[in-house]
Amino acid sequence: MSLLSVRDLRVGFNTQSGHVQAVDGVSFDLEAGEVLAIVGESGSGKSVTAQTLVGLTRGPNTRVEGAAQLGETDLIGASQAGLREVRGERVAMVFQDPMTSFNPVYRIGAQIIEAIRAHRPEVGKAEARKRAIGLLDSVGIADVARRVDAYPHEFSGGMRQRAMIAMALALEPEILIADEPTTALDVTVQAQILALLERLNRERGLATILITHDLGVVAEVADRVLVMHEGRIVERGSLDQVFYAAEDPYTQQLLGAVVRIDSAPPLRPAPRGEALLEVTDLVKHYPVKSGLLIDREVDRVRAVDGVSLSIRKGETLGLVGESGCGKTTLCRAALGLVEPSSGSVRFEGREIAGLSRRAMRPLRQQMQIVFQDPYASLNPRKRIGQIVGEPLRRQGAARGDELRRRVLELLDRVGLGAECFDRYPHEFSGGQRQRIGIARALALRPKLIVADEPVSALDVSIRAQILALLAELQQDFGLTYLFVAHDIGVVRHVSDRIAVMNAGKIVEEGPADRVCERPEDPYTRQLLAAVPIPDPREARARRQTVGPG
Amino acid sequence: MARFVARRLLGMVAVLFAVSVLTFLIFNVIPNSEPAQRMAGKNATPRLVASITEEWGFDQSLPQQYATMMKKIFTGDVISYEGRENVDARIAEGVPATFSLCIGAAVIWMFFGILFGYLSAVRAGGMLDRTLTIVAVAGISMPVFWLAAIFLNYLTYKLELFPSGGYVEFTESPLDWANHLILPWVTMAIVYVGVYSRVLRSNMLDAMGEDYVRTARAKGLGERRVMTRHVLRNSLIPIVTLFGLDFGSLLGGAIVVEAIFSLNGIGQYAYESLINTDLPPIMAIVLFGAFFVVLFNTLVDIAYAWLDPRIRLGTEAR
Repeated sequence: MSLLSVRDLRVGFNTQSGHVQAVDGVSFDLEAGEVLAIVGESGSGKSVTAQTLVGLTRGPNTRVEGAAQLGETDLIGASQAGLREVRGERVAMVFQDPMTSFNPVYRIGAQIIEAIRAHRPEVGKAEARKRAIGLLDSVGIADVARRVDAYPHEFSGGMRQRAMIAMALALEPEILIADEPTTALDVTVQAQILALLERLNRERGLATILITHDLGVVAEVADRVLVMHEGRIVERGSLDQVFYAAEDPYTQQLLGAVVRIDSAPPLRPAPRGEALLEVTDLVKHYPVKSGLLIDREVDRVRAVDGVSLSIRKGETLGLVGESGCGKTTLCRAALGLVEPSSGSVRFEGREIAGLSRRAMRPLRQQMQIVFQDPYASLNPRKRIGQIVGEPLRRQGAARGDELRRRVLELLDRVGLGAECFDRYPHEFSGGQRQRIGIARALALRPKLIVADEPVSALDVSIRAQILALLAELQQDFGLTYLFVAHDIGVVRHVSDRIAVMNAGKIVEEGPADRVCERPEDPYTRQLLAAVPIPDPREARARRQTVGPG
Repeated sequence: MARFVARRLLGMVAVLFAVSVLTFLIFNVIPNSEPAQRMAGKNATPRLVASITEEWGFDQSLPQQYATMMKKIFTGDVISYEGRENVDARIAEGVPATFSLCIGAAVIWMFFGILFGYLSAVRAGGMLDRTLTIVAVAGISMPVFWLAAIFLNYLTYKLELFPSGGYVEFTESPLDWANHLILPWVTMAIVYVGVYSRVLRSNMLDAMGEDYVRTARAKGLGERRVMTRHVLRNSLIPIVTLFGLDFGSLLGGAIVVEAIFSLNGIGQYAYESLINTDLPPIMAIVLFGAFFVVLFNTLVDIAYAWLDPRIRLGTEAR
């Protein structure tokens, strides 16, 4: 008999805009000791399925039908009290964002102790604390005796996710549900967390449901795969079956849309024009101040620590680095948004570092930015027409009917219809919003566009569309891109050259193919080795050469 | 921490200085504020006015007058124009009544504000929530003077449950003390109960959507523990700010309530001094009040660092 058996699970929500059938007849079994991946894009119902199993979606506006058996326990019919004994004790969960999944006001150790004592009230505080220390140690947290009393914000993202896993293991559950456990992490940290999950599965025989949108992650750790689309399972099978013999068109499309680090895009002639943007010895330090009444500088954060790079007209320079490496500060300095501590930034040969706001203003229309989060970067109370038209109005480029005509033209260029003009941002999907962000950036016909993680928040299939749009616009308008991302696979596909940044410095720079295929710097190599490859055979081959864990 | 406190103390001195200068200047530019003229009475001879002017130093320059008054306030020598009594001593006399009123009212409004806010949030959308919402909005909408009048009319004059006003020292008779204060406490607390319960309710509803609350449920905590330890605890932080501001400003005198119930506290003294445009007590009371406002703001910030470990006092946010 299977450990967990789900039959015809249906979950619907009554919302203000009507009934939404999030999960529409899902059946699957989870065997002891296996890693089952549920793959799907946002809104496919994969998280709702998992959360419904432990009753986290229950509420007055939720309708749950079907059956889910965990051993003898009926998970759908169980009372709240019955479910409480399942949660944490038999089925534990790890969530996506380790930043927000711990309560910020309690110490890490205290939150683990709370989990233990919620199910084992007979365990004393000292004993629970000892167990918490042991758990943190087993997931690879160094210096546990001290770290157990740290607050969540004192941990890095990767450490927090380890601690989250430690908490999930506290009561030796039968099933671990990991909901996008590595999506918010840097790629090197992701590799460590995946290795940890795999080790736990191997050593403890812990059955794991891994929910993810990332096929690379699936190929690294899963035994079996379910592909979900619009609330249904459209494909199921072993890892190799799904990757190499997918029958469902949606699965095939999903696999086809993946941008792979190990496949080179078609070569195109490298632009040989003059430099549009030249950054020389750029330094941006932030002072850390202290002192009783008068501030003294006691330390400094070296966000950007002596960076030189140049971008030719019509070229795409990819800037890769993990969080905190200084890439965003570098972009802001390149756009004249922050004043560098020293060094020079030249745009078309003209020095812009230290220019006044007034002197910067005419230059601003030549350089625009596309942001990562298409949800946060559009004002929710403005219509699309206003958002896209604002730069034109601000710079006095157009008004009235002329403004409307130009905005409609821009929307058309990014693949949006005229009906979008009077709608609000919340009416659009993530990909559409990113198109709006691009239209806004294009409005003033800039020469340089800084794209700061423009596709990181998007689903794989949407990601491919946006990348194609950016490439097409570059052709048509002769744009120059500074393309910033943490995902070197994506960067390789769009860039002529790649610069790798680590701890405020550029550690390697060169043509995209060369950097990806023959990296010279050890950090670049580490970064490349950590990228999960969405190909199970490749992943296995690589694991054998590197060794397990 | 030391750096934080040192800076705050410096700031406090600056605020008190600015407040006192402003009060002093406002008083000197409003009409009908020739104190010598008024002290001399209706049929005063010019000579009498001149001698009062000289005796009280009204002929000195404004900065000089300001300096003398501030010095007197801090040494306890300041005398009011009206009644010529020692202002500091009179304020000290009012402290027990005002503090008894404010602390008692604060206990009531914090208790019921948090209780009602918690219950509304936990039962959001239900009957209890709707009832409490109506109660809270009614409480916020009722003017204090009107509410006090209603209480006095029905509970004091008709039912004779409570005394009609006045203040009895706690040391004299704790029972009488409480009996005299119940109506003022309730009158004062009602508005705040309404405000605090609404603020807490919306904070808690926000907090319920947080990821860490889902984590708490996922690890199998009981609903009550999730609500108190994870939702309520984090939602109380903004309430602390509100409380610091409200409580600090009330300690400087709750003018309306004190005046209606003749508690003879600082607020009532402030009211009388304002009516008589009596500068020395106004200055002293304003400084006294401003001191508590600034003090409680500092305490709030210290409490913040204790409630939310992410906040480090004294290090600037980058």
